Amino acid sequence: MIASANPQSRLRPGRYRIALAIAALIVVALVVSSILNYVYLDTIPGRTSLYGLLAVALIALGTFILVNAYNRDTAARRKQLIRAAVLIGLGVLLWLLVIDVFLFTQSAGPGVAAVCALACLPTTAFALVVVRRMDRNHKEPWRLVLVAAAWGAIVATSLVVWGETVWEQGAQHALVPGPGLDTSLAFMAGSLEELSKGLAVLLLFLVMRDEFDDVVDGIVYGAAVGLGFNYLESISYMTNIYSIFAPEGAGGVAAGVQWYARQVLGLFFGHATYTAFIGAGVGIARQLPHMRQKVIAIVAGFIVAIAGHFAWDAWAALFPIDTTVFVIVEIHLRTLILEGPFTAALIALLIFGIRYEGQNLREQLQKEASTGQGAILPEEVQILASPWQRLRQRLHALSRQGFRAYFKVSRLQTAQLDLAMERWHRERKEIDTPLEAEQHLRERVIQLRHWVPAA
Amino acid sequence: MSTSSYDQLRVLYRTLLVFATVGAVILAIGLVQFAYFEPFGEATGAKATIVGVYEFNSTTGQIVGSDRSEFPREGEFAAKVDWTSLPSNLVVDARWYDSFGTLRGQVGPGSPADLVDKSIVPVLVPEGYHYVLPGRYTFVVERLRNDLPVEVLGRRFVRVDRT
Repeated sequence: MIASANPQSRLRPGRYRIALAIAALIVVALVVSSILNYVYLDTIPGRTSLYGLLAVALIALGTFILVNAYNRDTAARRKQLIRAAVLIGLGVLLWLLVIDVFLFTQSAGPGVAAVCALACLPTTAFALVVVRRMDRNHKEPWRLVLVAAAWGAIVATSLVVWGETVWEQGAQHALVPGPGLDTSLAFMAGSLEELSKGLAVLLLFLVMRDEFDDVVDGIVYGAAVGLGFNYLESISYMTNIYSIFAPEGAGGVAAGVQWYARQVLGLFFGHATYTAFIGAGVGIARQLPHMRQKVIAIVAGFIVAIAGHFAWDAWAALFPIDTTVFVIVEIHLRTLILEGPFTAALIALLIFGIRYEGQNLREQLQKEASTGQGAILPEEVQILASPWQRLRQRLHALSRQGFRAYFKVSRLQTAQLDLAMERWHRERKEIDTPLEAEQHLRERVIQLRHWVPAA
Repeated sequence: MSTSSYDQLRVLYRTLLVFATVGAVILAIGLVQFAYFEPFGEATGAKATIVGVYEFNSTTGQIVGSDRSEFPREGEFAAKVDWTSLPSNLVVDARWYDSFGTLRGQVGPGSPADLVDKSIVPVLVPEGYHYVLPGRYTFVVERLRNDLPVEVLGRRFVRVDRT
C-alpha cells in the first residue's frame, strides 16, 4: 500500500478561497452588468439580463447544493439532491420564461422560439453523450457534465451580454466599418466569450477537484461548457434570423441553415473545441507539480481557445463562398480548414491524455492486485484496463442474468477504477483526502463484489 | 511519481505550449490585420455634414419628409450628404452597411467636388428581396487612401423595424 499522501494540503483552503473570489466576481459582474444594461442601453437583452438575475441566482445556489450533496451521507444526500433539483428546475424555467418573453418572442414569437429550442436539444444531448464517452477509462458523473453545460448556457451567456454590448457599440462608433471593425469584434467574441466560459471550467476544477482528474476530464468539462453555450447561442441566432427573413418567406430556411451550421456542422468544431482547450489547460495544470507551471498551462489553454475563436470570427468571411451549387461544399470546407486544425490538435491531446491515463490506471490496478486485499484480483487487471474488455464483461453479465447484473458489474468496475484513480493521485501527491478514504473505496469494492453474481 | 509518468505529463504540457505559441501568433496576426485596416495617425480633423436620413422615393430618386432614425421595413430610405463641407483634396465615399456588415449602397469614391451631384445615397434592397432587411444600418462618409477607407468623417445609425 502507498503510505504517502497529502492529507494536510496547504493548497486546499486557498483553492476554495479562489473559487469563492471568482464566484463573487461573477455575481458582482452579473448584477452590475444587468443594471447598467437596463439603465443605459434599455435594449431587449438588457431587460433579459436584469430579470434573469433571479434565475442565475437560483441555478448558482442549486449547483452549490448539488455538488455538496455528494459529500454527505446517503440520507442527507437525498434531501439535498431534491432541494438542488427544485432550485435548478425553478431557475431553468424562470430563465426560459425570461428568454422567451424578452428575447426570442420579441423577435420571432414563442412558437418559433420553442421549435428552435427543441430542434437544438437532441443534437446538443447527442454531443454531450459523445463528449462524456470520450473518457474511455473513467467517465465523469452526469450531474457535473450537465452542471457544466448549464453554466455554459446560462451563466456564461449572461456574463458576456454587457461586455459585448459595450465593446460592439464603442467599436461601431469609433472604427471604420469593414475588416478593421470585424477584426475588433472577433477579438471581442474570442476574449470575452472564452473568458466567461473558461471561468465555469476553472470553478469546476477549484470546487470539484476530486472529480477533475486530468487532461481528459478537463477536455470533457470544457467541451460540455462549450456545448451549453452553443445551445443557447444557436437558439438566439435561429430566432433572430427567422424574424429577419420571415417576411420574405425564407424564415424557416434561414433558421434551418443556422441550425445546420451550429448544431450539426459546427457542433464539435466551434465552442466545444475552444472551451475544451481551456479544460485541457486546467486538466494538465491539475497534475503539474509547480505553481508556475500550473498558471502557464491554464493561461496557455485560454490563449489557444481565444485564438481559435478569433480565427473563425475574423477570417471566416474571407473564405470565398459563391452562390453556385458548390456553396454547400465550400461551407463545409471553410469549417474544415479554419476550425479543423484546432479540433485535430484537441483530439491529439485527448488521445495522448487517454493513453497516459490508461497506462497509469493499469499500473495502479496491478499494484492494488499485488497487495492481495481482494478489491482487485490479478485476473481482473487485464479486463479493467481495457474499455472493450470491460464492456464485454458487462454484456456477458447482461446475457446471463439481465440488466440488473449488467448494472451491478458496471458499478463494481466503476468503483474499482475509482480506487485505481485514487491510488494514482495519492502516489503523485495530488490528493487532499486522508488514507482512510482509499481504504473506504477498497471496502466499497469488496462490498459491491458480494452483490455481483458470479460470472 | 514514476519518471515515465512525469515525462508523459511533460509531453502534454509542452504540446499545449506549442499550441499556445501558434495561438499567440494567430492573435498577433490579428493585431497586425487590425492595425492595417485601422491605421493610427490618420485623423485629418475633417468632418462631413450628413444632412439627414429621409424616406426615399426610388421612382423619382428624391427624398421625402423629415430627418428620421427609424424606418418601417417596407419603406425605402436614403442619406443626404453635404459634400461641400469637405476639403477638396480628399478622396471620399459614402456607404450604407446593414446589421450583418454587408454593403447596401455606395456613392464614390471621388473628390467631394466630383460627388456634389450625388448627395443622396439610398439603401439598396438586396437582390431577390421585396424589402430591406430589418436591423441596425450604419451610414458612413469615409476618407480613402490607396483605395482603402482609413477615416470616418461622418456617421449615422438607422433602425429598420422588423414589422
